[in-house]
Amino acid sequence: MSGTVIFFLVLYYVVVLGIGYWAMRRGGGEDLEGYLLGGRQVGPIATALTLQSTSMSGYMFLGAGGLGFAQGYWALWYAAGDIGGGLLNLSVIGRRMRKMSQMMGALTSIEYLEKRYPSPAIRLVAGVLTIFLLGFYVLAQLIAGGKGMALVTGISYPLALAIAVGIILIYTFMGGYLAVAYTDFFQSLVMLVGVMWILIAALSELGGLTAANTALSELDPTLLSVWGRGLGFEGQWGVVAGAILIFSVGYMGWPHVVTRHMAMSRPATARRAGFWATIWSLFFVPAPYLVGILAILILPGLDDPEMAIFQVAGQLLPAAVTGLVMAAIMAAIMSTADSLLLQTGSIASRDIYERFINPRASERQMVMVSRGLVVAVAVIGYVVALVEPPTVFSIVIFATSVLGSAFLPAYVCAVWWRKANTPGALASMIVGATVAFVWEYAGLVNTTELHPMLTGVVSSTITMIVVSLATQTISPVPAYILDAMGVSSKVGPIPERFLAATEFDLANEAAAVGKAIEEDSQDG
Amino acid sequence: MFGLPFETALLVFGFPVFWILYMVVFLYVSRRWDRDSATEDDAS
Repeated sequence: MSGTVIFFLVLYYVVVLGIGYWAMRRGGGEDLEGYLLGGRQVGPIATALTLQSTSMSGYMFLGAGGLGFAQGYWALWYAAGDIGGGLLNLSVIGRRMRKMSQMMGALTSIEYLEKRYPSPAIRLVAGVLTIFLLGFYVLAQLIAGGKGMALVTGISYPLALAIAVGIILIYTFMGGYLAVAYTDFFQSLVMLVGVMWILIAALSELGGLTAANTALSELDPTLLSVWGRGLGFEGQWGVVAGAILIFSVGYMGWPHVVTRHMAMSRPATARRAGFWATIWSLFFVPAPYLVGILAILILPGLDDPEMAIFQVAGQLLPAAVTGLVMAAIMAAIMSTADSLLLQTGSIASRDIYERFINPRASERQMVMVSRGLVVAVAVIGYVVALVEPPTVFSIVIFATSVLGSAFLPAYVCAVWWRKANTPGALASMIVGATVAFVWEYAGLVNTTELHPMLTGVVSSTITMIVVSLATQTISPVPAYILDAMGVSSKVGPIPERFLAATEFDLANEAAAVGKAIEEDSQDG
Repeated sequence: MFGLPFETALLVFGFPVFWILYMVVFLYVSRRWDRDSATEDDAS
């Protein structure tokens, strides 16, 4: 184990903890809005980089590199959509969701769904689904952290995994959203520097991109094709479409990512954040896939493709730089894991415990529930990662396909389609999640040549449209929600009548009571 | 280009160009968003 590597890793942790502590002291955690959304005061660059570093997880350093190593240039279909994922997210729903969430007084992305589609069932289904899927996603981060740390430091996998879980837990407990956002900002820069350093080192080792491609072509010409090694994906446009969609439009369906819109300092922040997100992605996103492809030449006898980037770093870079790269990898893992755990805890405490179990819960009780669930998810993740760790790639593709399929139409239609109603959103979430889950679990990708993300999103979108239109008469969208949608669609300040979010809650309650009275009178 | 077949070069370089164009169009279309604000106080 290199002392230099450990020095840089420790230095990185100290800096991250210092930034987190500074963010906590800076404020924003005095009340629930401060803790969960940083008091809605996050600016454009911080918004862009927390959005991107949360979206780009340990998958980028393990799954992406592994895919490049296994399939050659075919892997770049995933990068093709991913480059624009943040921009698409901010440009389509960013500004409107920021305004709507403030008008509705929503503090979590699941609460936002219930207030837009008024029904407890929306919050229950969305909350349970999100906790389950984010738990899976956290598992991928734990495995990535454990595997990476074991390889670089030389300690055993179980011990490395325990250290990774411990660090992530301490770090998550440090503070609320503001601490997460500002540490994400720093970590996104470390990720960018780290991955670019490996890419440049790999290209230098092989004499440049053209020389590397010539060598790959001599080894196996299909590695340069857009259809994968041995042309294994030839003509499978359904799989290609899913690969592009999953990390482009898919981000709009991830509850832990769309929360970033709700925390922006102003609705217009989405504009400048879109610019910075694109600049960052243009450099960062393709790099891990390319390093994985170049690893075919640098490490021809590699046993575990997901270790490609770690091994290339270890072989080509001096110890100090390897320490920096390891810090970058841990940054990718931690910047996603802390957001996932914070969201999972927030949803468990506010959307499930307070909403359905103990409506009079104090903030202290809610924090205890939140932290209890975070520890439970981490412990379960540790056991699964230890006993039978699946590949990071397979977990991330599974969790993100189901998340995107379940929630994409609900979040997009919430601000764009005035006829999107509660039955439509509920049916869309259930159908989208079920189709993507079954497609992945039953292995239908191979037999149908269709990606689960594609089938999931298409089925959830069709369901949203058909069910919403079919139930307009029995479940129309309430007038106060249509009013809020009208305000969010226009450029201008939020009217005074919407700024007291309690009015929106009262309107929600009144609608529910009115409906109950109407049903009673019909029964009578 | 860089020893890549045409389709692969299109995949590697075409998509980034597409997203840059998308960003330029977005920045143009949203040029008035700066007038937007969270509250009426901010606007004044």
